[in-house]
Amino acid sequence: MKLAIIVLEDEPPVRDAIARDLQEFSGEVRVEPAEDVPDARELIDEILADGDVVALLLADHRLPGETGVDFLVSTMDDDRMASARRVLITGQADHADTIRAINVGGLDHYIAKPWDPGELHDVVREQLTNYVLDQGINPLPYLPNLEMDRAITAMRGFSLTD
Amino acid sequence: MAAQVPTRLPSKTRVQKVGLAIAIVALIGCLFIQVPGLEPVGVRMLGIFVAAIALWVTEAIPLAATGVGIILFQVLLISSDAVLPVPETAETSASFFANLANPVIILFMGGFMIADGAAKYGLDKNLAAVMLKPFRGSARLAMLGLMLITALLSQFMSNTATTASMFAVVIPILASIRDPKMRTGFALAIPVAANVSGVGTPVSTPPNAIAVGMLAQNGIRITFLDWALMALPFIIVMLMMAWLLLVALFVPKGVPMELNLKADFNRSPAAIVFYLLAGGTILLWMSEPLHGINSSIVGFIPVVGMLATGVMTGRDVKQLSWPVLWLVAGGIALGSGVRATGLDAWLLGGIDWGSMSAVVFLVAVALVAVVMGTFISNSATANLIIPLVLGPSIMVATDDVTLAVVAALACSLGFALPISTPPNAIAYATGHIPQRSLMLVGAILGIVGAIFLALALPPLWAWMGLT
Repeated sequence: MKLAIIVLEDEPPVRDAIARDLQEFSGEVRVEPAEDVPDARELIDEILADGDVVALLLADHRLPGETGVDFLVSTMDDDRMASARRVLITGQADHADTIRAINVGGLDHYIAKPWDPGELHDVVREQLTNYVLDQGINPLPYLPNLEMDRAITAMRGFSLTD
Repeated sequence: MAAQVPTRLPSKTRVQKVGLAIAIVALIGCLFIQVPGLEPVGVRMLGIFVAAIALWVTEAIPLAATGVGIILFQVLLISSDAVLPVPETAETSASFFANLANPVIILFMGGFMIADGAAKYGLDKNLAAVMLKPFRGSARLAMLGLMLITALLSQFMSNTATTASMFAVVIPILASIRDPKMRTGFALAIPVAANVSGVGTPVSTPPNAIAVGMLAQNGIRITFLDWALMALPFIIVMLMMAWLLLVALFVPKGVPMELNLKADFNRSPAAIVFYLLAGGTILLWMSEPLHGINSSIVGFIPVVGMLATGVMTGRDVKQLSWPVLWLVAGGIALGSGVRATGLDAWLLGGIDWGSMSAVVFLVAVALVAVVMGTFISNSATANLIIPLVLGPSIMVATDDVTLAVVAALACSLGFALPISTPPNAIAYATGHIPQRSLMLVGAILGIVGAIFLALALPPLWAWMGLT
């Protein structure tokens, strides 16, 4: 079972830049770029059909059609997605959008554009770790992609025997 | 957020399917076949034993499920409450269930309370930080310090928990090491130290508990201190050998290294009560010759004391490694069933033990345990090997204690692959260790260690008056 990160961003150069900055997340983590909300929904079906899980939604706000915040809100009602971690990466969400994302979109983190690649790494690593620990998944296969100290400490609880 | 509820059953590999099939055939087949020289209950026990081997080797079902499965099938097939006719001497189902609360399980429960409490109050990491202080200056010295502290912690915590705690401490250190070869060495130092030295007390690791439990069934009581004294020379030699090997392979001479770890001991009243209860228990364990209170009884004191004072709560009790306790209980039940039904005598009767020298036998036992322990769980290896080796000791010129301790310690030496032990799996998953480095170090230490264990230690123990 791989952990999927969905990168929802309409502008190709920006999308590629985010994906490139997330290159170090590999192995048991898959990074999947989507250009708009319907595309993201299709991707989610594909990911679940592969037996993988959506661990992290990394969404821009301003998109053609449905906005990023609307997407985050809509996925809260979806059992398969409700536990995914949610990050908004945008420069254009206004006050009201942001409040909505936090209160009803389950937002876990807000990254302002232009983003700092180091910050992006840290946030993704932290959110993936939160996801794995919250879900009670054995962190072992995902260790290189997680905050190692927290993940290793949690591994004590997996009843591994000597 | 609630954890995910599984929607599908875990998928099984082809090997696991074969294991499951062998187990089912063995359990059903033993009801219908007759074996010369073996009573019907012995044949049924043989079926259970074969099923246990198949399931523990292939891990077709979780290790602990096999443990409790052994008890279930013993109750169904060979106890006085069995669904089939059994001799009048058969023990009641209650006595088979009692393995779940065998004194050695109670002892282990006490060990778990101390180990889990140490993690809860951060004692493990703080002790590591304080004790690393004298080992500053060179990288070789720093590695020695890390290995010694890992060794010390793993006397009272499982090797797995120790490795998890120590990695949490050394991750910043690993990140600061530029030379990838040296980083490999440091990442290897922890699981290697936990594996080779986490054997110093009956609560260090399940194979030790299994040996103590099975010896007790043979009427031999081995105290906490006896075990510690027998294991100490082994630990010292193995740890030094491991350190020399690791520095020779990975850490050049004269590389400076400063380890600056901050200790921040929890001084809350709850933490202090925990320190006192844990320290008091360990003192009582070590001083058994003075007061004569059996280590299992002592082990029950922290269970009661920590719950009563609230330093550990019902939630902590829920999180104890019950599957490990059940795995050990299943092993002890297997051992007693094998003996009670005469299966051990039948299995081992065909071999002319009288002509075998004790030395050859010990070396063979140690090597078999290392090889098995490399591929399957060390605890499962101990569960399968120890009941069998206790049989021929009367015929071979050696004693039960020597055999059980050699077998138990050898089980912990099987660590040449990432899958061999959870400490290896954790270390390997950090991505700092190439598999061939682990195999090289594990194979050298495993084989040399097994031979040293079988040849040098029994005469030493006899000289020390321990066997």
